[in-house]
Amino acid sequence: MTVPAIRLDHVGKSFALDGGKQFTALSDIDLSIGKGEFVALLGPSGCGKSTILRLVAALEAPSTGKVSIEGADPQALSRSHRLGVAFQDHALLPWLDVRANVALPFQVAGKKVDSARVAELIRLVGLSGFEKARPRQLSGGMRQRASIARALALQPEVLLLDEPFGALDAVTRRQMNVELQRIWSAQRITTLLVTHSVDEALFLADRVIVMSGRPGRIIRDITVPFERPRKPSVMRDPAFHQLVDELTLALEPEGEAE
Amino acid sequence: MTARSDGLQRFLLGLVGIGLFLGMWQVIGVYRLAGLTWPPLTDVLVFVADPSKRTLFARAITASFIAVVTGYGIGVIAGIALAMLGRVATVLKPGLDRLIAVIHAIPLVALAPLFMVAANRDSTPASIAALGVFYMIYVATTSGLNAASAAHRDVFTALGASPVTRFLRLELPAALPDIVSGMKLAIPVAFIGAIVGEWFGASRGLGLLMVSAMQNFQIPLLWSAVLIVTASSLALFGLMSLVERLTYGRYQ
Repeated sequence: MTVPAIRLDHVGKSFALDGGKQFTALSDIDLSIGKGEFVALLGPSGCGKSTILRLVAALEAPSTGKVSIEGADPQALSRSHRLGVAFQDHALLPWLDVRANVALPFQVAGKKVDSARVAELIRLVGLSGFEKARPRQLSGGMRQRASIARALALQPEVLLLDEPFGALDAVTRRQMNVELQRIWSAQRITTLLVTHSVDEALFLADRVIVMSGRPGRIIRDITVPFERPRKPSVMRDPAFHQLVDELTLALEPEGEAE
Repeated sequence: MTARSDGLQRFLLGLVGIGLFLGMWQVIGVYRLAGLTWPPLTDVLVFVADPSKRTLFARAITASFIAVVTGYGIGVIAGIALAMLGRVATVLKPGLDRLIAVIHAIPLVALAPLFMVAANRDSTPASIAALGVFYMIYVATTSGLNAASAAHRDVFTALGASPVTRFLRLELPAALPDIVSGMKLAIPVAFIGAIVGEWFGASRGLGLLMVSAMQNFQIPLLWSAVLIVTASSLALFGLMSLVERLTYGRYQ
């Protein structure tokens, strides 16, 4: 049996609230993600999907169960600079220009900056000509693209995307999805995307995991049938619409699901 | 465009304010509204510009300026260094914070006589200035080193940053705006420290000039010394405000 790229083995996470109470964010999450697979975590706000991502990134430790990446502790991945992350908050350093921000992972890893790679990534995310711009001079969509370029800089083995386009308007968001699909198809990195957009999940992912909240748990695990590379026209496919309807229904709170 | 005209308007209003202030000073002086000890501004300016006083002022200004610069420099370096130490050696941090708070709780004026007897009297002005500046910079740097956002910290953790890299590439640059603000606010503190130190009996300096002018009822001399100190402090404060604005523009 091959070791999955990402494995969450009956993972639970609870936080201590003020007043000594416990809040269970995640309960008994069991999930395996294969190498080179693009998985979307879909769910309403507060269902704990970002917590799963933070567990995989080793930014949090599970309360119960075990998270492993390629059979090892998730910290080993980030410590060996093989993890790429992009968050809803682009988290670019305001004092660095685009080029320096994309080059940052090299410096953090203590490696020589590969200028050709940095230039290539900037071109890949469509920011050529903006190398010397600072984050504040860019639009929201451009900042997210820079943030994704940064995440890809070291050719990571695992890419974690937490609502990277959550703050963008619908048109820009769709455009970014198309671009991310193009970028991803060229690299095929094991990717975990957190989103609350059904369209985004179906357009980008190989598998969609639907979650429900309080406590967060997995309620559906759907394989997306569409061929790659996907064009925006796939979103007009009747099969796409049917899956959108199905997932939207699954996301409804149980009481109103009739 | 509106931002620019707003800025222009503020600048012009500022000029009008300063003009009014100086005009009132002159009027009060000319008509003796506040008695004989309030000279008109023009008298003070003529006194400052008087060539026969040039050596007197030059000596005093040089002495005070050296005290301010020395005290400011030592205070800034020590403040940043100790705040960094507290960051790196976290065990020391609570003790360091408390010690520095206690030292700060003692009024600088009360420490001056101690410096006078314990140290060389000519180093007292710089020492007092350094102490005041040090506290200001320590507090600013300490809070600045915590200024990096949670999202930035997460990115550095996910990229596998070592503590040293995190400090040099994230925490220190993120602290710069706070450090520069501290350095701006520390300018008047350095002047107060140096002048107070000189009051207690330094052998030269603007503070000494003020005390002796006051005791000998040399009113124009007293006002001249005050005017010089105020103008220099304001000028340096303005310069640091400019540096602060540039830093904020780049680092936030």
